[in-house]
Amino acid sequence: MLKIIIPTTMLIPLTWLSKSNMLWINSTIYSLMISMTCLPLMNQFCDNSLNMSLLFFSDSLSTPLLMLTTWLLPLMIIASQYHMAKEPLARKKLYITMMILLQVFLIMTFSATELIMFYILFEATLVPTLIMITRWGGQTERLNAGIYFLFYTLAGSLPLLVALIYTQTTLGSLNLLLAQYWIEPSTPVWSDSLLWLAYMLAFMVKMPLYGLHLWLPKAHVEAPIAGSMVLAAILLKLGGYGMLRITLMLSPTANFMAYPFLMLSLWGMVMTSSICLRQTDLKSLIAYSSVSHMALVIMAILIQSPWSFMGATALMIAHGLTSSLLFCLANSNYERTHSRTMILARGLQMILPLMAAWWLLASLTNLALPPSINLIGELFVTASMFSWSNFSIILLGINIVITALYTLYMLIMTQRGKYTYHVHNIKPSFTRENTLMSLHLTPLLLLMISPKIILGTMY
Amino acid sequence: MFRGALWLLAGRGYVGRGLSTRSGGSTPDWTEKVSEIKKKIQSALPGGPWDPLYDTSHLPPEHSDVVIVGGGVLGLSVAYWLKRLEKPRGAIKVLVVDRDHTYSQASTGLSVGGIRQQFSLPENIQLSLFSVDFLRNINEYLAVVDDPPLDVQFNPSGYLLLASEKGAAIMESNVKVQRQEGAKVCLMSPEQLQNKFPWINTDGVALASYGLEGEGWFDPWCLLQGLRRKIQSLGVLFCQGEVTRFITSSSRMQTSSGKEMTLKRIHEVHVKMDHSLEYQPVECALVINAAGAWSGQVAELAGIGKGPPGTLEGTKLPVEPRKRYVYFWHCPEGPGLETPFMADTSGAYFRREGLGHNYLGGCSPTEEEEPDPGNLEVDHDFFQDKVWPHLAHRVPAFQSLKVRSAWAGYYDYNTFDQNGVVGPHPLVVNMYFATGFSGHGLQQAPAVGRAVAEMVLEGQFQTINLSSLLFSRFYLGEKVEERNII
Repeated sequence: MLKIIIPTTMLIPLTWLSKSNMLWINSTIYSLMISMTCLPLMNQFCDNSLNMSLLFFSDSLSTPLLMLTTWLLPLMIIASQYHMAKEPLARKKLYITMMILLQVFLIMTFSATELIMFYILFEATLVPTLIMITRWGGQTERLNAGIYFLFYTLAGSLPLLVALIYTQTTLGSLNLLLAQYWIEPSTPVWSDSLLWLAYMLAFMVKMPLYGLHLWLPKAHVEAPIAGSMVLAAILLKLGGYGMLRITLMLSPTANFMAYPFLMLSLWGMVMTSSICLRQTDLKSLIAYSSVSHMALVIMAILIQSPWSFMGATALMIAHGLTSSLLFCLANSNYERTHSRTMILARGLQMILPLMAAWWLLASLTNLALPPSINLIGELFVTASMFSWSNFSIILLGINIVITALYTLYMLIMTQRGKYTYHVHNIKPSFTRENTLMSLHLTPLLLLMISPKIILGTMY
Repeated sequence: MFRGALWLLAGRGYVGRGLSTRSGGSTPDWTEKVSEIKKKIQSALPGGPWDPLYDTSHLPPEHSDVVIVGGGVLGLSVAYWLKRLEKPRGAIKVLVVDRDHTYSQASTGLSVGGIRQQFSLPENIQLSLFSVDFLRNINEYLAVVDDPPLDVQFNPSGYLLLASEKGAAIMESNVKVQRQEGAKVCLMSPEQLQNKFPWINTDGVALASYGLEGEGWFDPWCLLQGLRRKIQSLGVLFCQGEVTRFITSSSRMQTSSGKEMTLKRIHEVHVKMDHSLEYQPVECALVINAAGAWSGQVAELAGIGKGPPGTLEGTKLPVEPRKRYVYFWHCPEGPGLETPFMADTSGAYFRREGLGHNYLGGCSPTEEEEPDPGNLEVDHDFFQDKVWPHLAHRVPAFQSLKVRSAWAGYYDYNTFDQNGVVGPHPLVVNMYFATGFSGHGLQQAPAVGRAVAEMVLEGQFQTINLSSLLFSRFYLGEKVEERNII
């Protein structure tokens, strides 16, 4: 793991010592090379994990997420090039440093063995993200967004710290690899439910669960493009990853605690999809669709069946790439028309046909068209939810239909129809933007061939 | 300074020793002393005071989808219709920027407030027809919950236009067009005129056209305030400031015939605050130029007209301010309640104001007599020399009248063809115009607002086709003139 972490850390001196005309090129190329070094990890040869040291390990759950994280850094840097062009050099370097720092923390988070180290880095990822949102965001609302983001996550994760320390003192060690063997179900005590709540709340807020999701639309809309990408693609998955790890320790004593959150997720999934139909702001629509997809992941993790775990992992990777792609597309619109309102920039298919192709592919993966990996994730989750309770199929079916509705609404609104008069002189698509979209789509489409690598530990 | 601080601290210590006896009075002294010390330190340190969290409530937002330059009746009408015609509610963020929140020089408030359908251009007639419908049903359009209904004081007394022998043929053909469009106008011979309005002297009048329905005058302030109230309830933001700069980006593109053009796009609007150098860059997708008499200056800021003359780049927006006087007089023997808004063959006009034999009127000066539009000072001699003789000739009762007051206002005068400019600019792609109506802007404002909103939202005019009023006619030289009756 050090072979990934040290080069990523060394990206920071690379940024600060680069000349101004080589800054973006250097950081993009070297971060792409670092993502290549993650690939050998994919060679997971046994049901158990690859243990690299006492501190770091990677198994078939954390490896796809690690790959996604390292793949996303060059994409974030490519996406930020345009809106950072006018900033002074030191600020550009600071921005890239924030992204790299976030990357380091995320790599360490996903590969941590000790749960306390996981927790510290989990909290540490908040700081660079907060700085990116509040300093480089678009509107004055970004301050509000940053505060919501920070305090929701902090408040949710404080009980997690308490629970972790309690477990450390009773159990003796919080090593994830050992924990799965040491945990024995003891006689049920009422404080088991409190412990369950303390553990899960942090990840619920991060996912986010429907009732605790207020920070997400604000943070996603007000963040700059790199912030939106990393928030949608990775930071939400931190919650899913944490939940997947912790359920090994918590079950089966407090399984009854899952019911309220299952209901909230089922209901919230349909609610947020419906809200998407009424959104006028493009980024806000994509943010709410993230909540809806993540609600599926929460449900899958809470019912704890092998198929649902596979579906959850696949959905996390697929949604990460799709959501990040949609944000990049929305940003390319915003950079040209300086407005996020959908009705002011319509009919773009006539003007930018290649970008319309990317929009089409992104929309098709978002609505889980077969045979994309989004479908695999959703299908596994739906099937396992149906076997857990027959009635959930009604809500899941409604959600799939509404997802298709709002995704097609977004596609038709921005791409089809007669274009508005004032968009006919927007700049044509840059090669950089086309590269960005294709780099998002390539893994998404290639994974269709062999989705078993993203199906996680239960495959 | 340090000596002073030390002295204060020494004094503090002295007070501190006797704390038991002095506890009551020391607290307010302490905060005063602290602020004094702070001020002394700040004045000694280099650089100005650094206050990172200063109050920005007077500044416009950093981002707005549509920025409307000019908060008069045309700008507010565009804002209203944009909010009303947008498909999902609350989709577009609109910001109205006006330089003067007292509207002291705005043409809307200083207008005489007449509305007529007696134009010769079909577009103008249709615009006025819709506006009359808007005014009649103003409470259905502009109602706000829990607020009292609007009384726009529409006096439907009609317009009476008089024509001499030379202009009679033009008047007849005009009335034919008006009737085709649906306006209710009747033609009157001098005898009929004398019968209907006995106070008129029909000497020199060959034909008169009288609007029977939907013409008259109303209170422009009420319309303005009603629009303002309604759009504030719909979520439009108002800001007081002056637009000083547009940040644009250009791209060279080729037309289908191979000719190269430079198309521009406005990215940001710099709004400068009153009496200060502070400005706020507002990032926007569209700019609507409804600045009235000053639209020409705003257009120049966007680079319209900067190019070799005779090309599309070099075609300026030909709107400039022209000063017009309005006089208010009292005449106890004057015509009564049925008085229409009368426009004489000489160009002088008047209308009744209120119920006490008061009248408003004026006259458009000829090209040579154009007053200097630098200020809004009234020339009373103009009334004496140019207006009164014609009025007294036409209405004998006006031979004895007393001018009570007078004011002046600007026409956003379109020097090209005295008709409005509506729609987008061909080169500065996201600037739309709603200006240049040269004196009939107020009466057509509701319909023009709707037309511009349709152009923005749909891409074409849906209800009234104003494509003959687009900007490109200035370059192509196609004048769209009113056929005036001399």
